[in-house]
Amino acid sequence: MMLFLDTLSKIGFMFVLIMGMVVVLIWMERKGAAFIQDRTGPNRASIAGIRLAGLVHPVADVFKLLFKEDIQPANRHRALYNIAPWLVMAVALSTYAVIPFGDYISIAGRKVSLVAADLNVGLLYILAVASLGTYGVIMAGWASNNKFTFLGGVRATAQMISYEINMGLALIGLVLVFSSQATPEHLREFLGADFLSGLRLTHLVAGQGDLLWGFLPKWGVVVQPLGFLLFITAVFAETNRNPFDLPEGESEIVAGYHLEYSSMKFALFFMAEYAHMVIGAALVATFYFGGYQVPWLPRPVLEAHAGSLLTIKLIGVVIISMIFSLLFFRRAQREKGKFGDARDREPGLGGALWLIVALGALGGLVLKPWGIGADGASLFASLIQVGAFVVKLVFFAWLFIWVRWTLPRFRYDQLMALGWKVMLPLGLANLVVTAVVLAMV
Amino acid sequence: MEGFLFWFCGTLMFLGGLMMVVQRSAVVSAVWLVFSFLCAAGIFALLSAPFLAVMQILVYAGAIMVLFLFVIMMLQGPVLDGERVPIKKGLWPFIALPPAAVIILLVGWVKGEGLRSLGDAPAPGFGTAEGVAQLLLGRYLLAFELISIVLLIAIVGALVIGKRERKLPWK
Repeated sequence: MMLFLDTLSKIGFMFVLIMGMVVVLIWMERKGAAFIQDRTGPNRASIAGIRLAGLVHPVADVFKLLFKEDIQPANRHRALYNIAPWLVMAVALSTYAVIPFGDYISIAGRKVSLVAADLNVGLLYILAVASLGTYGVIMAGWASNNKFTFLGGVRATAQMISYEINMGLALIGLVLVFSSQATPEHLREFLGADFLSGLRLTHLVAGQGDLLWGFLPKWGVVVQPLGFLLFITAVFAETNRNPFDLPEGESEIVAGYHLEYSSMKFALFFMAEYAHMVIGAALVATFYFGGYQVPWLPRPVLEAHAGSLLTIKLIGVVIISMIFSLLFFRRAQREKGKFGDARDREPGLGGALWLIVALGALGGLVLKPWGIGADGASLFASLIQVGAFVVKLVFFAWLFIWVRWTLPRFRYDQLMALGWKVMLPLGLANLVVTAVVLAMV
Repeated sequence: MEGFLFWFCGTLMFLGGLMMVVQRSAVVSAVWLVFSFLCAAGIFALLSAPFLAVMQILVYAGAIMVLFLFVIMMLQGPVLDGERVPIKKGLWPFIALPPAAVIILLVGWVKGEGLRSLGDAPAPGFGTAEGVAQLLLGRYLLAFELISIVLLIAIVGALVIGKRERKLPWK
């Protein structure tokens, strides 16, 4: 029963994280594009004058798409046409099951692992589920019965098959490095093994907490730099993001496989693309950037210095939120009556919000955070790890957006040539070199 | 719980196979076959063979069937409503008899010695990554390598046969 509740709450956390990230990413995409192209970006939608710098726009989008008429082409294949968007979304959401977002959290003396399903073939599970993602796209393309959508589906399939191989090859090097490394002392009791298994994601991340030569975090990107480059390229291709977004290349095939979808069915494709970005970011962070690991601060260190770290953190929060609050109040003074409607209240409310945060942190300081006990220290370490994971996730999600608005799209033959003639040989070479080096060490 | 999951996956797998056969559209047939494969992966997982379960999805559902679907869609073209492909009258016995014979033989075998002659269940760990690796890279190493060479030759052969020299206007 407890196991059931634990798992349910972990799934709930991941679901909220992903769907929340999807909304944030849609906002980040628009604001990021505007920033890169030197525009202002979305700033009109508001709820009672509160615009949140454009964050209200995704909400407005959801309402628009929910109430829009669902127009379907007459000659579609009814069943496949209707299943496809759900399939894409389901695949996007089920990958998260095996991604750890912390090592464990102690609740009333029980240690609960922070991963929904700790499979011992977790890495293969991710590859397997990712390969199923092709079906939704190709079904949508074929069932719409339109030449453009069909071309989009065919392109997506060929692209995904080609880059899946590179993804797997890049990951084998990583598995080789982290397999049969000794389990860190403080996790031995919890993971229950003397040696790590590279196919199991909790082990893969636990191994990245070590230091290389005593000062360098043993992150995947440090031990497998070429593997990282190959992997992130393959992830871009798998998520159909620019520069690899040929399945929906607007200039050639209009909108590709989701051309014939409208209203919420289109929204599912749209959300699935962003959910895939969040997966991609989570995978890059987990495999190559230490997942939940804070560099140079493994769990024992975090727990030992929890009191002082928490105090420093609270003081930092107080100072920063005071500065923000001050800036907002100054803007409220300066722009008094600028719009002449409800929007004038926005800076004042922002200032009040930051002030509340500052007061909350001050209240935390009054409670003597430097004297938290062992339980508190353990909880603090767990929360810091989850925070580190989310920070890495957001950074790599931003990287996706950054690349999209910076690089032009590939031509299709260039895409195939890159996948088969450049990345595949490089991946094989990486694998051989890794194996030889590991055999010699 | 285990029994329930076995019957659940088994029934769905059987239904998937049946639907695959009775579909008119080859594309939908392929989709039902994928469904059937997923249920088979569930049964592997029940047998505590996680590696085999994931490989079933990764290789069969994720790679081979995607290529199948790809080819079928290229050949079959767009969806046509109410399209029927009648089978020639004289062909019916040849299509129906072999599967019927197989089913009758299977039922007879199961009713007789069948299940008992299969022997004990394999030891735990036979379907993990380590277990499969021990077999593939140990006991069956030679066969494994030979098969991979055969596959390589098949790919090269398919390329040689399939590739036609195109007469390009500027050549």
